[in-house]
Amino acid sequence: MLKYSISILILFGCFVSFSQTDNSKQQDTLIKNKYGLRVGMDIFKPVNSFINKDSKGFELVGDYRVSKKFYVATELGFQENTTEEDFINFTTNGSFIKAGADYNAYVNWLDMENAIYVGFRYGFSTFSQTLNNYTINNDPFLDDVTMAVNGQKFDALNAHWAEFVLGIKAEILNNLFLGFSISGKKMITTKEPDNFKNLYVPGFNRVFLNNSGFGFNYTLSYLIPFYKRDK
Amino acid sequence: MKKLFLLLFLISVGFLSCERDDICIDDITPHLIIRFYDATDTTLVKSVTQLSVKILDIESNYIVNNTTDSIALPLIPSADFTKFVLTNDTNSDTIMVNYTSEAVFVGRSCGFKSIFNDIDLQETDDGENWIQSFNIISQQIENETSAHVKIFH
Repeated sequence: MLKYSISILILFGCFVSFSQTDNSKQQDTLIKNKYGLRVGMDIFKPVNSFINKDSKGFELVGDYRVSKKFYVATELGFQENTTEEDFINFTTNGSFIKAGADYNAYVNWLDMENAIYVGFRYGFSTFSQTLNNYTINNDPFLDDVTMAVNGQKFDALNAHWAEFVLGIKAEILNNLFLGFSISGKKMITTKEPDNFKNLYVPGFNRVFLNNSGFGFNYTLSYLIPFYKRDK
Repeated sequence: MKKLFLLLFLISVGFLSCERDDICIDDITPHLIIRFYDATDTTLVKSVTQLSVKILDIESNYIVNNTTDSIALPLIPSADFTKFVLTNDTNSDTIMVNYTSEAVFVGRSCGFKSIFNDIDLQETDDGENWIQSFNIISQQIENETSAHVKIFH
């Protein structure tokens, strides 16, 4: 029985694909795609700012369609984040900008504008680190007498990094898009503080041991159509 | 499309739940390393029998009844001296270690350690000291690879 059911499935699959190609051939000349500027914002950061007192952030996103498959894309915003570790507590505050391109690998039906894309970004951030307090990591026997020390502020720091982005965008209403993306990041250069390290960078998030990072975005964006072009 | 959304969402949740990627494995604040030598033949290492060490103002002993030729003692980074009471099988002597401490950043999980500069040692003369003399080998305590102070007894 199982053998038959698989055969039937394959048979149906053939039918479906045939009917699709027939359809698109007929309508090819009629379908037009929207080209324009898409602007929006990250919807996770404001929510997180509200529920997490150690994090305040805001991020604007935008892209512009340059060809059938390619978009130039940018994100900019600011982030204030307090990191608590075993022996240190510090606050990072700064702004960031990312610029790059997205390639839409998704083939849409008819005039739909959904996207499954891969992208690349160059990221830059200027920020400050404030060492709120730290405890000297010493022999545990001395715990009672090793006190927390108030730290200092390190200004005018910066970081450059590269990002690889994987994401999707779905048109939920006319011209309104809901998007989600994840990104892997690799630090290129940083201006490090004296006797401390950039363990968190706005836009890059937590800097892991091998100078890599992760990020994700939930975005809501609106397409301002400039013109239409044949698909 | 919906399935992909779900997949990416699950991946992102996975990232969120990622916790510590490192534990502290680097060297933290170094101890003061003392090696004990014979007072008559100063090249000869000589063990102290039943040595106990108490850090002044701390109730419990740091080392209890240990027969050894070398010890590693912790220094208090927030002060500029630490006093130790070294007791062998017969007698107690008090030594005071003076220094200036300097905080050095190690890493995310280890935080800051302290290194000690301008090491100086003083012994309280109580009339019958078992510690006869000492010799400061290193003015700076940066690591624990070799002894910083020699004590002759």
